[in-house]
Amino acid sequence: MRRAFSDTLLKIAEKNDKIVFLTGDLGYKVFDDFIAKFPGRYINTGVAEAQLINTAVGLALEGYRPIAYSIAPFATARPFEQIRFGVAYHKLPVMIVGAGGGFTYAKSGVTHHAPDDLALLGILPDMTIVSPGGPDELRMLMPELLKLKGPSYLRVGKYGEPELNHPSPVELGKGRCLRAGKRIAIITSGDIVCDIYPKMNIFLSAGLDPALYHFHTIKPVDRSIFPEIEKNCSTAVIVEESIPQGGIYREICEWKAETNSKLKILRSGAPDAFILGSPSREELRTRLGLTAAALKDLCLQEFRIAK
Amino acid sequence: MLSTGELKKQAAKIRATCVQMAFDARESHLSSALSCTDLLAVLYGGFLRGTAEKSNLGRDRFIMSKGHGCSALYAAMAAYDIISPSLLKEYSRTDGALPNHPCRHALKELEISSGSLGHGLGIAAGMLYGMRLSGNTDSRAVVLMSDGECNEGSVWEAAMFAAAQKFGNLLAVIDHNGSQAVGTCSVIMGDTSLEEKFRSFGWHAVTIRGNDIAAVKTAFEQLPAGNNKPAAVIAKTIPGSGVSFMEKNIEWFYRSPSAEDLKNALAEIGAEPLG
Repeated sequence: MRRAFSDTLLKIAEKNDKIVFLTGDLGYKVFDDFIAKFPGRYINTGVAEAQLINTAVGLALEGYRPIAYSIAPFATARPFEQIRFGVAYHKLPVMIVGAGGGFTYAKSGVTHHAPDDLALLGILPDMTIVSPGGPDELRMLMPELLKLKGPSYLRVGKYGEPELNHPSPVELGKGRCLRAGKRIAIITSGDIVCDIYPKMNIFLSAGLDPALYHFHTIKPVDRSIFPEIEKNCSTAVIVEESIPQGGIYREICEWKAETNSKLKILRSGAPDAFILGSPSREELRTRLGLTAAALKDLCLQEFRIAK
Repeated sequence: MLSTGELKKQAAKIRATCVQMAFDARESHLSSALSCTDLLAVLYGGFLRGTAEKSNLGRDRFIMSKGHGCSALYAAMAAYDIISPSLLKEYSRTDGALPNHPCRHALKELEISSGSLGHGLGIAAGMLYGMRLSGNTDSRAVVLMSDGECNEGSVWEAAMFAAAQKFGNLLAVIDHNGSQAVGTCSVIMGDTSLEEKFRSFGWHAVTIRGNDIAAVKTAFEQLPAGNNKPAAVIAKTIPGSGVSFMEKNIEWFYRSPSAEDLKNALAEIGAEPLG
């Protein structure tokens, strides 16, 4: 997905001379093509995330379309005040890019984990939040984000995620039904869908027939899909690398509370705890139940109870 | 640039207006407003070019980063016909154009909103980068900050960035009144020199008497032109300057003047408030 990001950036910048790319001293060799082509429109503000965002704010005030890039916790939690004050309060078209959101950098430890990026930026008014599933979604959604009049956050994964390759349309602000099913709906946001979607057979072999919905746009969320889910399913299982205060879980809980929906909502996500140590992302996903096998067990358990 | 005499008259008008506004709105922050009135009088009195016209891309960008002193900003804008003096009565009113921290959504004449400290300098540097990309290297960005604001780490991130980018058209004016919300700057953050700090960050820096109109005028006029260093003018000022019973009394960071305070202050200032 990282490659899809740098390729898309280059393509968009070729067409739009207002695009300026800023980094907080990260992205070694990732943006060499961009730098070679547009040296003036590449700014390394140094290990200074407040200045990363404030430079972007100043550029946006002068009519530019800045894209501010860093590793997710340093693009969100670290300069949160600058984003809240400069970007959100002024309603500026600044795109913030968090590379390695969620637990992409699981092994690097707590400082590099960002299960809270969606929650943090999600509380800011008018912030559009996108966490693409695969590189194909990123390529389709990033140009749309850069057409917005207001701020946006794009969570970008790592290198090498597979393409999602699903025929349903990819539209900003629209959820996707990747598989119709009965009783249980699995709902994903972000790149975890690339791990779940190809493994739907695990559910089928266990006698389950779950629906699979994917939301690349977290905010504004596509609420029109929730009643559809409720119509066909009694239980929704949200799976995402996010704390419950953000992501699709928060959105669907809010909807449930507002509509008195009877849909039962389960969650596999980040706990209310720092993850210590140096687990690999795969180890961590297994530990937190963020795998197709763990979800299958959760669904079976739910199915038995529901019966 | 107006003459020193004319600037003094404008400064008195701005001062009187600040006290009147604080009285009318039952607002505070007079210490911080009055300390920077002379700086604003000179900035708007001929130093800033084209600032009133937001559609003029060649204008100097002025940012009042110390948003809590905004009654002085509003009064200065009225004194120099950037906003109508009749607008001053909207200060701190619900849904008014002049909230008690400047808001760009309420007052379109502003470059940015302010109220949270430590943002103005960094945003100004971003604006200068944008202007340079657009081929405009003539316009300046001028940021009025407080010394307490320089506690913020983001100020020094901005200072590094601006020096590295060689923004010779960036001017930081520090209202160095020595006082911050709950005490004395030198006690809270150490008794060190702001001038030396900025200089060591690669800036041109001078320290001046900030409530002396002639000194402020001279300092701004003598800023080095055509070099590639950003400049900092450290203006040593007096909190509550111009009203003897408000000077150096931290209470006036929080207090609103009574009718008697207003009467005494206006008599001392010797000017009529605008609006």
